[in-house]
Amino acid sequence: MTDTAISVQTEQKTKAGGAVVIEMKHVKKTFGNNYVLRDINLVIHKGESVVILGKSGTGKSVLIKCIVGLDDIDEGKLIILGQDVSELKNNKLIELRKKIGFLFQSGALYDSMTVRENLEFPLKRHAKSMSKKEMSLLIEEALQHVGLAEAINMVPEELSGGMRKRLGLARTLILKPEIMLYDEPTTGLDPITSKEISKLILEVQRKYDTSSIIITHDIECARLIANRIILIKNGICAAEGSFTELQNSTDKWVRSFFE
Amino acid sequence: MLSHDRIYRSKIIPEKVNSTIAIGELEIAERRQRIRTVETEPSTLSKFFIEIASITTFTFRFFKEVFKPRYEFNEIIKQSYLIGYKTFPLVAITGFIIGLVLTIQTRPTLAAFGAESWLPAMVAVSIIREIGPVITSLIFAGKVGSGIGAELASMNVTQQIDAMQVSGTNPFKYLVVTRILAATLMLPILVILADVIGLLGSFVGVNLKGNVNVSLFFVQVFQSLEYQDVIPAIIKTFFFGFAIGLVGCYKGYYSNKGTEGVGKAANSAVVFASLMVFIIDMIAVQITSMLQY
Repeated sequence: MTDTAISVQTEQKTKAGGAVVIEMKHVKKTFGNNYVLRDINLVIHKGESVVILGKSGTGKSVLIKCIVGLDDIDEGKLIILGQDVSELKNNKLIELRKKIGFLFQSGALYDSMTVRENLEFPLKRHAKSMSKKEMSLLIEEALQHVGLAEAINMVPEELSGGMRKRLGLARTLILKPEIMLYDEPTTGLDPITSKEISKLILEVQRKYDTSSIIITHDIECARLIANRIILIKNGICAAEGSFTELQNSTDKWVRSFFE
Repeated sequence: MLSHDRIYRSKIIPEKVNSTIAIGELEIAERRQRIRTVETEPSTLSKFFIEIASITTFTFRFFKEVFKPRYEFNEIIKQSYLIGYKTFPLVAITGFIIGLVLTIQTRPTLAAFGAESWLPAMVAVSIIREIGPVITSLIFAGKVGSGIGAELASMNVTQQIDAMQVSGTNPFKYLVVTRILAATLMLPILVILADVIGLLGSFVGVNLKGNVNVSLFFVQVFQSLEYQDVIPAIIKTFFFGFAIGLVGCYKGYYSNKGTEGVGKAANSAVVFASLMVFIIDMIAVQITSMLQY
């Protein structure tokens, strides 16, 4: 194995035959003089679950923030659902964002709102034709799906870490996004709750046929969810493959993530 | 998004790197990672101009967004309730005390010149023209400016603003425009109410050592007041409200991450907003004087 980009060429348990939903070509991103993303090339297909692993500070979160538009890329091409993001005007970008769900590490719940209002907020803004009754039914269904039906009138500060993650997930899913981005969904949770969240992500994936990118340090979560794993090192995709392939890699650095 | 910390220039101090190591792509990246970026602190004067540029951009963005649909009427009403109605008790108590104290403090001086009967008129002109608007605005800056600053900074820290953005909502329009409009519209109303309550406080003060009935007191008050006392005083409160809302939102929206950033945002919002009130007041007084004479 050389020091150049490591590519583990093996058969992948992915849905590689599906349509491409995200394509990144030579994407670069710097903050001042700090090169965070140096040359990212990746392709995500419809229905695929891609886990991104890497040491802290290697640009994993920046990568998904660029995809969702919270950060702009400096160079390269970012094509989402067939649209080149850099060429989109503001209103088109907002339309595109509706198709992308983003689960923040902290949940990023609106703490001045109740659980119900947290779910109502995106619906009121994007599903204007929906009646109050339809909205209410949709909210109840979304909360039942994540096991939070009882918490509908609670405020976020009354919820536990796991419940906050579930609510964040429900809020993201209520607009039925085509792409889901998860920023460390199991961080700070106990192993049992982490497993529950991982299973929930998997369930969401199957039910809504979403394409997902999951940033995580949780190897168990990666094992459960991933069709494909990408390892990021120094701002490039350094290794790629299924869980088993990377776990059995001959490269010591790659194996170190799975030990 | 023009934030002053993005404008700071930086310089690079490369660490010594062993040139004998074989150069691979990753290795180059590792070397780059080892490059330390040292943010050069700009001078106080530069910081001042950066801040001015930043807040000017923020103000222009407000005017750009305020006329564009979608209009967040429900949020404006909600914020008006929170900013106006919830601040009323504090403003009312302050107004009453100011009217009362001003009357008690002024009485001996007027009595020394045998002009005690001028007390209602003098207090009324003081309250309506200057003390009412300025003191109410300072109270408003302390409560509302700091509240907005802390709330937005806290939303920034907990990524709630990012969450709004990724859900396709314009957070500037939803959070900033609504709060600035609510502050601009609510402060004049609060000042009018505070003036009236201040005059009631003055009436109580007059009657502590005298016996003046309500109608006589208010006849004296209204006889002493002219439109040129009332109108400019109310007009300037719109500017006070706008400045307080703008500063609170600016400090909160562009706060540094972390809990320290929340405290700083709240603190600097109050300080800067209070300063703005005095500066606007000074300009307003100059303009009024020029128009009158």
